[in-house]
Order: sequence, then structure tokens, then C-alpha cells
Amino acid sequence: MQISKKINVTNIVIWIVLAVMLLFTMTPIIFMISASMMERNQIMRMPFSWIPESFNRENFIKAVAGNDQSYIFVRNLSNSLFVSSTVAITTVLIASLTGYGLAKFRFRGRNTIFIMIMATMMIPFEAIMIPLYMVVMMLRIQNTYTGLILPFLVSAFGVFQMRQYLTTFPTEFLDAARVDGMGEFGIYWRIVLPNCMPVIATLSILSFRSQWDNLLWPLLVSQTKEMKTIPQYISTFALERNTDEGAMMAAALLASIPMFILFMSLTKYFIGGAAIYESRKG
Amino acid sequence: MKRSIALVLMATLLIPFSLFAQGGKEAVVDENAPVTVQYWTHEDPARTDLENELIATFMAQNPNITVVRTTQSSAKQIELVQTAFAANQGPDMFNLPIENQYAYITNYRVAPVDYQAAGYANKQDLLDNYVEGVLDTVTVDGEVYGLPLELTNWAIYVNKKIFRDAGLNPETDYPKTWEEMADVSEKLVIRDGDILIRRGFDFRYPYYLTFFVPMVEQLGGELISSDGKQAIVNDDAWIKALTYMQEWGPSGRNLGSPTYKNARKLFNLDNNDIAMAHSGLYQEGRIEADNPEFFESGEWMVIPYPVFEDAVRDVASCYYGHFFMVNIDSDPAVQKAAWKLAGFLLSHGEDYLTRGGNIIQPTKALFASDTLKNMPYSDVFINDMGRAHMIYYGANSAEIQTQIRYAVESVMLSGVSPQKALATLRSAVQEIIDEQ
Amino acid sequence: MGMKKYRGIEKKQARWGFFFVVPSLLFFSLFSFYPIINAFYTSLFDKRALSKAPPDFLGLGNYIRLFDPSRAASELSFLNSLRATLVFTVGTFIPLLILSLLLAVFISNLSSRKAKKFLQIAYYTPAILSSVVAATIWMIIFDPRGLGNQWVNTLMNTPGVDHRWLVDPVMEQVSTMVIYFWKYIGYFIILFITGLASIPSTIYEAATIDGATKNQVFWRITLPLLKPTVVLVSVMAMLQCLKTFSTQYMLYTNGAPRAPINVITFNIYVTGIQQQYLGRASAMSVVLFLLMLVLTLLQFKTTNSEQVEY
Repeated sequence: MQISKKINVTNIVIWIVLAVMLLFTMTPIIFMISASMMERNQIMRMPFSWIPESFNRENFIKAVAGNDQSYIFVRNLSNSLFVSSTVAITTVLIASLTGYGLAKFRFRGRNTIFIMIMATMMIPFEAIMIPLYMVVMMLRIQNTYTGLILPFLVSAFGVFQMRQYLTTFPTEFLDAARVDGMGEFGIYWRIVLPNCMPVIATLSILSFRSQWDNLLWPLLVSQTKEMKTIPQYISTFALERNTDEGAMMAAALLASIPMFILFMSLTKYFIGGAAIYESRKG
Repeated sequence: MKRSIALVLMATLLIPFSLFAQGGKEAVVDENAPVTVQYWTHEDPARTDLENELIATFMAQNPNITVVRTTQSSAKQIELVQTAFAANQGPDMFNLPIENQYAYITNYRVAPVDYQAAGYANKQDLLDNYVEGVLDTVTVDGEVYGLPLELTNWAIYVNKKIFRDAGLNPETDYPKTWEEMADVSEKLVIRDGDILIRRGFDFRYPYYLTFFVPMVEQLGGELISSDGKQAIVNDDAWIKALTYMQEWGPSGRNLGSPTYKNARKLFNLDNNDIAMAHSGLYQEGRIEADNPEFFESGEWMVIPYPVFEDAVRDVASCYYGHFFMVNIDSDPAVQKAAWKLAGFLLSHGEDYLTRGGNIIQPTKALFASDTLKNMPYSDVFINDMGRAHMIYYGANSAEIQTQIRYAVESVMLSGVSPQKALATLRSAVQEIIDEQ
Repeated sequence: MGMKKYRGIEKKQARWGFFFVVPSLLFFSLFSFYPIINAFYTSLFDKRALSKAPPDFLGLGNYIRLFDPSRAASELSFLNSLRATLVFTVGTFIPLLILSLLLAVFISNLSSRKAKKFLQIAYYTPAILSSVVAATIWMIIFDPRGLGNQWVNTLMNTPGVDHRWLVDPVMEQVSTMVIYFWKYIGYFIILFITGLASIPSTIYEAATIDGATKNQVFWRITLPLLKPTVVLVSVMAMLQCLKTFSTQYMLYTNGAPRAPINVITFNIYVTGIQQQYLGRASAMSVVLFLLMLVLTLLQFKTTNSEQVEY
């Protein structure tokens, strides 16, 4: 009797904490959705009313057509999708290859290489932006997709994750394949890669997201409007129209939709990092 | 095995070269050989429309010249041009606010005007075409380094409806002095507790060199002494101006602050948010684009930049310029083509004024034209220009502006005393000019 | 003979291993090592962005200038940036670490699978928005007329007070922390849930049979076993905080004062990109790099993180 009462109190406290947190994380998002449908003067009214008086279609038209009616939004959105997916794919391929090499082969300098790659995680992007820009200029790839993608082909964090995952990969499988006469690259491609799907999923999502979020680099590299990415579009839009909160929120919402869709369809891999370990245990 | 490593190495390094080798600048000697001019400018929708049209005409007239026009938001443009130049890959032709652009001259990054290519017989011919003294800014050692795309000064836009709403007569009660500006604003504001729902006037905050330095000068102060050696002349003037800003801010009379929405953009909406805003003639076109009804209603007007009651000098808000400049490292043929383009664009001053973003190009012809005289309130701007001078444009003026921003913000928002803020400002600015 | 053949295979394998690592090595050489070496080299010179003249060699002059105590009075100095970075990192990293662990434990202990999944999704959602979108939303919330004031004034029953979210030096720092915390809490909760899920349930069963209370289980079993995750999460969260840039940048470009939020990365950006002091900015970059390196090594060392064996 006594015990169950105590547990109830703890449970209530836990639920309150969880609910407060829920409120905190969700309200700004609900605010964005709600404000995207509102007239400007309703957004800035005190107190704020959450239900839009009417659906203000104008906001979305402005957001997509842009300030100059060029509908460059669509192109910018596709650019972001293309760059982010490419980076996700290359990161997975190169990181898994490197991670495999570091985890399962013994060669001289292996640890040094691993530590050096890890150390690059400590380099803030702002610190190397200018030399990096010079590299891109030297390769003459400014204002191209290559220029947007190349500096992010693989990430140190990806290598780290892959190596950690593959360290515990059963070596017997590899040896068995070698006995069967499979080539080393074949082993990587047909045995190692298919067996790290959970970590691949998580890693590709992370890489996709980091490019989706990248503002600073495209600012430097994309010169023409056609080569800009969606964060640039939003920041320019916000600067030029910075009184029109409704259209701004509409642009923000539209720009977030691809990510929402990805999130909803791949929830398992976003939040199911646990899946990596669970699948390993089984 | 070694060979395969070498192969991978080479392949990785070569792929980018082989696939994306276009865009390089090859040396061209022939005048009629095809050249490409990279022209970077800041975004302004009305001007973009006009320039795209003009550039199409220009390219039709000069089939060997291709112009690639690239726009960025004005704040970003400053950083991008500098980064590109730092990597020795600057655009062929570009424009920036003069306080940011001047350093390109002092660092030998831009070429002197090619008078013939730009359509002038010689230097004197060019000077004769422009308003007296305008080109002094970009003249170094007798050479002119830029052609003005625009010369802009700010006056005060007034929403008459809000004046009447507060029981004031806009035609007579508009503020002539800074003291009146604060008092009138006090009558115009609507607050909910400390929160301003409607503001009277508010400053255009980050641009302190444009509006704040003239306020100091009205009181007899100077940013840099005339010999260029001493920073912050006449402490009393500075302290009085800083105290005025302190009084303006949330810890004083609470009339406005940098966190509220940009006043000049709110002004166009005519939404009972702001009664007065600081802006240039180009604002008229923006009002018309954003809110044609308000533009036509005649419920707005423009008044001169106020002065302090005990001012010792009559100084209006500074004017600033954007100049077309040409990269000295571009190929000579490209430079020539760029000056040709600049000259061509600038020969359409009236188009820029009427439909290219309402910007003023300071040619004698335009200043004498009816087009300018017929622009609403253009007389206010022209008069104020006569009371004003060019913005401070040393090699590090952008950094000095940052320091002034910091000083004003610290008195307005962080409760720092004007004396202390001034001392910090002085040592920072002194160091900057000593380094030059 | 057999030994020799074995050796041969090993050697061949070693080559393959190296071969697999080559693409990454090339990549990091060009896009990480070269730029940071370049930054270190530049930090020894008085290099200005626009100057074409060969820069003056300063030796450690740039570094001496950064740590010059007589400059500490200016709030735009590097020493003040160190302070701002430290305040931001501590103020964001500690709540992030503690709350994400706490919430992860709460969520993991829920019996309803649906509730578990729903909460994870809800907490993670801010993380999928881009920083630009996040900053745009929060700037409207922190507007004097926005939701921020309305909420706080309703909660504390202080009508009409402007809390100056983006202008008061203290509030401005709090605001950046709130935005950051909001964006990353879900991500770290997920990492902890992952860590918790990796602890075999048999251990808990054994502990419960031994009569341990929930509290005891948490402190004596869960936490020690979770140590690798704690180390990983704390290193990641800390590096993330030290690298913070876009939030501060967005607030500043929209009119907020710079001094309180002039974190190192932002100072690098302003000094190197907006102003022209590439040498000085490079010196700051090198200091930040070393700072991150040392803090990470220290963290790994003090927590002595060998893999926990179950």
C-alpha cells in the first residue's frame, strides 16, 4: 500500500517533467505552423492567439515565389536535396571503407592515422574557412555542385562511428570469406557493407542533416542565385522581408517539409540509434 | 600495390580539374576576342530588373562581351567580395558601400578608371560630368578609381496619420531638433507596460557612421581630428550625444531600441507601428512596391534631418556612395570591357532614378533634370545633401563603426556610463587609426 | 615456411588496410590538415585580407596580443571571447548533459512503447530544423511583443515587463543557451537512450532479485555502465558548444549587441572575414583548436574510459 503510493508520486513527477519538456520542444514548432497561416498583424498581437483567424494563402505564395517572383525557391530546395543526399552517400561509402580498414587490418601507422582523423573533429569550420576557400578556388570549383560537396565528402565522426561499429564485427566471417577466395574489396562490398545497415542509416541521416543545415559554406561558394541552397534562401528572405513574419514562417515551414518527411518515414533510424545495439545483441 | 595507391591519389586530385576546368581566366590580347565580365552587386529587386534589361542591350551591342551579374544581400556582399579578393579571385567589377570599398584602393586591388572605355575623352571630361567634389572620395594620387552607382543620404519619413492620431499636426509639429524628436516621440508612443507597441521615431541602428557621427559633429565633436592623428575630438560633444542615446533607450525614456523591428521596413506597412523612420530617397520606391495604397494616399512626407538645440554646426546625416570598381588583377581586356559596361550602365541615370530603385547618381545632368525635381520630396534630400558631407571612409572605417556600435549599445542597453563607454571607444579607435 | 607464408598474407592484408584508408587520408589532408597548417602558418604573420604586400612576420605577436591583459577591459577582446565561450559552454553543456540523461532514464523506464516513441519523436523534432529556421522562429518569440515576454509575464504575474531577451547582456546569453538547448536536447536524449538500451537487461534482473531499489540500480549499475556513453555525449556536447556560431551570428545580424555573445568562433569570423586581420583570426583559430584538443583529451583521461565489459 505504502509502496504503491510512493511509486505513484514518483510517476506523477516523472510525467510532469516529461510534459513540461514536451511543451518546451513543441511550442516553437507549433508556433511556426500556426504563424505561417496568419496575417502579419495577428502574429504580433498581444496576447498571441494560437488559432489563425483565416488561412492566409498569400504567405505561402510569397515564400515560394520569392521577392522577385523568380520561384528560385524550388531550385534552391532541389540543390539542398541533391547536395545533402550526395554527401550522405559519399560519407557512408568512404567512412565505411576507412572504418573497416582501421578496424580490421593491422598496418603501420594505423593508430596514428586514426588519431589524426579524430583530431580533425576539433577543427572548427570557421577556423579553416579561408584556406579551404582558397583550395576550392585553386580547383576552380566555386559556384558548382562539386564545390559545395567536395569539402564534406566524408566526416571524421563518420569514420569514428564506422570504426567503432566494425571493431566488434566477427572476424571469423571475414576469414571464412577469404578462405572461399573472395577478394578484399569483395569482402568489403558484399559482406561488411550489407552487415552495417543500421549504422549506415544513422550515419547517412546525420550527414544529410548536417549539409541540410549548412549555411556558411554555401554562402562562400554559391555565387549565382541558381546555385544557392535553402538555408541561404531563408536567411536572404528573412533579411529582405524582415517585417513579414507570416511569409517568413511559411518559408521556414516549407523548407522544413522535406526533413519532416524524411524524419517521419525513417523515424526508426533517427531515434532508433538503439536499433544498432539491439540488432547486435540478437 | 604502390602503383594502385599512386593511381588513387592521382585520380582523386585530377577529377575536379578535369570535370570543372571551365571558368578560368585565360590571357586575352585581342580587343574583339570574347571576354566575360563577372559583375557582383547587392540585391535590390527594382535595380535587378533594370540592369538585366540594360545588360542585355549592352551585350547585343558588344557581342564579344558576356556579362555575368551576381547578386547577394548587401550585408553578405561586403564579406564575400573581401573573401574572394583574399583568395585572389575577386570579381572583375563590383560595388560596395564606400566605407567598405575604400580599402580596395589603398591596398592596390582596383584599377584606375579607363576614361575612354567608360565613354569620356579624358579625366577632366569625367570630372566635368559629375557634381563638384563627388569623385574626390575615390581619387588617390590624381587617379580616379571608381564611378558612382549611387550617392545616398537619409532624411526622416513621417506618417501623418499617426501624428494626427496622437493629436499632433504633422505639418507644424514635426520635430526640427533632436530634443523635439524625443518629446514628439514621447507623445506618439503606445506602450504595454515597458513594451513598445508603437514607436514615434527610431534610429537605423547599425549605421552609426551615417547618422550618429553627424549628431556628434552638430555639437562640435569629431570622430577623427582633421590631421587624422587623434581619435574622438571634443569629449563634451560625444558625451552629450551618447547621453542622448542612453535617454532614448529602454533604461531612459524608453522610446526605442535596436531589438525592435527595423523601423524603415515597418514604416511602409502603415500598420500603426512606427510614425517616423530614417531612410533615403530610394525608400519611396519601396513604399510604392510594398504598399501602393499608402504611397498614393499622400499620408506620408519627408522632413530634414534634425539638429540639436545648441548645435554649433549645421550637419545633416552623412551621405554614402556605392562605386563601380574594377579588379586590377583581371585581364586587361576584361578590365576594359568592365569600364565599358560601367560607363554604359551609368549613362542611364534617369532610369536608375525612376525605375532602378530610385537611386541618385550624382551627375550634373541628373541634378539639373526635371526627373529629379519631380520626385516627391527630392528637394528635402538635395537640401540635406548640401548640409552634409561624405561618410568617414578610412581603410578601417567598418571596424570603427563596429566600435561606435559597441559604445552606443553599451550605454543604451548595458547601463555603462557615457564617460566609460567613451574612454573605451577612444582607445579602440585610436589603436585602429594608429595601425593604419 | 608456413610462418613465412603467414607473414606474406599479413603483409598483403596490411596493404589492403592501408589502401582502404587512402581515400580518407587524401581527403583529410586536403580539406583539414592543409587548412589548419595554413592557419597556423598565417597566425605568425600580420596578414590582412586585402593587402598584396608580403605580410610582416610577427612570430608569436598575434598570440601575445590575444592574451594581453591590458586589453581585457574591452569587451570585444579575445579574453572576453574566451569568457563568453566558457559561459556559453558551461551554461549549455551542463544542463544538456544532466537533463538529457535524466529524461532518457525517464523515457526508458516508461512501460508504454507508444508513449516512448512519441516522446522521442517530439523531443527530437527541433533537431531536424535547420539552425537558420530555428533562429528565425526564436527571434520572433524573443521580440519584445513576442511569446517570450507573454509567457514569462503570465507565469510570474508581471504584466507589461520587457525582459529584453536580445538586448540585456545577461538575458542575451540566456537566450542563446535556450535556443541551443532546445535544438540539441532531443539528439542527446536519443544518444543516452541508445546507451541505456545497450545495457543487457539481465543485469537489471539480477540486481532486482538482489533487492536493490530503483535509486540504487541507477547509481550503482546504470550510471557506471553508461560511462562510455556519458563520455561520448559529454565530449560531443562540449565540442558542439565550443563550435557554436550560427545562433550568435543570426542574433547579431538582427541587431543584438555583440559583446555578450562574442564567442571565439564569432570573433574569428568578425576579425577574419568582416574585418581584415587574417593573421589575428588565424591565431584565434589555433587557440580554439588547441583548447578543444586539450579539453577532449582531459575528458577522456579523467573519466578513464575503457570499454565497459558486461
